[in-house]
Amino acid sequence: MPIIEINNVTKNFKINKIQKGFSGAIKSLLSREYEIKRAVDNISISIEKGELVGFIGPNGAGKSTTIKMLCGILVPSSGQILVDGRDPSVERARNALNIGVVFGQRSQLYWDLPMDETFDLYKKMYRIEDKRFKRNVEFYVDLLDMHEFFRRPVKQLSLGQKMRANIAVALLHDPEIIYLDEPTIGLDIVAKDKIRHFIREINKEKKTTVILTTHDMDDIENICNKLVMIDKGKIIYDGMLSEFKRTYCHDNVIIVDFQDLNSVIEDSRLKVVKVEGNRKTIIYDKQDISSGEAISLVTRNNIVKDLMLKEPEIEDVIKKIYEKNMSL
Amino acid sequence: MHYLSLYLEFIKINLYSMIQYRVAYITSMLAQALDYGVSFILIWVMIYRFGTLNGWLPYEVMFLYALSLCSYAIAGFFLHITMSNLSSMILNGEFDEVLTKPMNPLLYLASRNFSPGYVSHIALSVAIMAVSFVNLGIKLTPYKIIFLCICILGAALIQGAAFLFTSVPSFWITQNRLKQILFHQLRTFIDYPISLYNQFVQIILTLIIPYAFINFYPAQYFLGKQDFLMFNQSFQYLTPLIGLVLFILAYKFWNYGLRHYKSTGT
Repeated sequence: MPIIEINNVTKNFKINKIQKGFSGAIKSLLSREYEIKRAVDNISISIEKGELVGFIGPNGAGKSTTIKMLCGILVPSSGQILVDGRDPSVERARNALNIGVVFGQRSQLYWDLPMDETFDLYKKMYRIEDKRFKRNVEFYVDLLDMHEFFRRPVKQLSLGQKMRANIAVALLHDPEIIYLDEPTIGLDIVAKDKIRHFIREINKEKKTTVILTTHDMDDIENICNKLVMIDKGKIIYDGMLSEFKRTYCHDNVIIVDFQDLNSVIEDSRLKVVKVEGNRKTIIYDKQDISSGEAISLVTRNNIVKDLMLKEPEIEDVIKKIYEKNMSL
Repeated sequence: MHYLSLYLEFIKINLYSMIQYRVAYITSMLAQALDYGVSFILIWVMIYRFGTLNGWLPYEVMFLYALSLCSYAIAGFFLHITMSNLSSMILNGEFDEVLTKPMNPLLYLASRNFSPGYVSHIALSVAIMAVSFVNLGIKLTPYKIIFLCICILGAALIQGAAFLFTSVPSFWITQNRLKQILFHQLRTFIDYPISLYNQFVQIILTLIIPYAFINFYPAQYFLGKQDFLMFNQSFQYLTPLIGLVLFILAYKFWNYGLRHYKSTGT
């Protein structure tokens, strides 16, 4: 049985129409006009326990609205959500015991105190047993490398350190599911890496289901095994990440520095897309031609100084999808 | 039991935070106590010069004022910060976090955001009550002391209901100033015996916005007065009941607002 089930869920927001100018302001005083904005449009998703789900989409696509409905913060306008068999908007507090939530840059920690004071509070709030609490704190402090700043007031921590502490606090009670809304936003590469590693470890160790929203495709590649893409409130992809790559990421790239300016490549399967002096950028579809064959074709009749092979980047594919809003 | 130990944890964590800013806290507490202390002195001086105020002795009016302050401080201790910030919490999305906690949201907010500054108000008003009773020569039996405590709690529930009723509209209105306008202005009406005002105001303060039950009616009982205006003398005992009913209604209103919470874009 899936741990999260979203069935035909729609969420509408009523927005006040603001009319222009002074007379408009007077008019809106007397009669309000509303506009219905459909943030989430009849979506259905099903997620199994232990899955690592990347939830992506452009700004305003409906990601946060969906996550908030899953947490029980917002009530769907229609449709049904079941998280671990419960409707989160009806049994909000009971559902909250079962989940961990980290909302982007918003902190759950007490600013003036070291993080362990907040940990103590959450121990009480979530009724975590002493043994489990001690074990988890040790485990997280080790895994997130927090020894050095464990007893330092939160306000003195760097962004990356704060994010690590926030994720730890959200996981103290061993939730079945953790929702991470842009957990790596604004962090440096090392900090991002630590967090990605940690999420994978937690998933492996405790079978925690992870739902993660991000704009950083490296997060997706490094953490997720499932991808859900949403745009304008509709699901445009829902499936395994590997499947997504196999289906949509064909364009492998070879960048070649030729000795000779007039080098030619005579094969319709290889397309030259960019020429900068001696350097040519060539793309090919892995389904038509293997990388080995492509390289041998390029080097057969030309003297090659240098050659670089690039895997297709998921980011490029997703960018194209957002831009064209093509439905898959 | 579980909740009590959680509450102690909240107190502990807030005290730790406070210690970081102890000078600021102590000065603000002193300043507030001084502010209200001066109000007491003003009332006293004013009435002392007139002798009585519509049949009320200076110490009787001070008792009236102390009841109002004490009940306001108890309600404010739990609700002032939360209700003052509710509008901005809703606007900037901080309220989302409240709803991710495995607790009743109002209980969570009241536990997290208490205002220790009000302890000084409570201490001051209790001291004034004691001084008033001594100077008026009123002997308090244990039964009366218990009933006084219950009345203060009832009055605190009325004040708490006022906090909720004026703040909950923030769930719909972006710039909710009801609390400042209605609440704080109205509260000054009951600094003096409401028998001073015309009948219209008396009816409003008794039946529509029953602030008179915070101090005017219970004071009749404790001061042994018979100033019931046009109303029944049983009103002197009704404060706990009215407090309970109003707070339950206010809590329902809060839950109604909560269901309409829309959260913000991001």
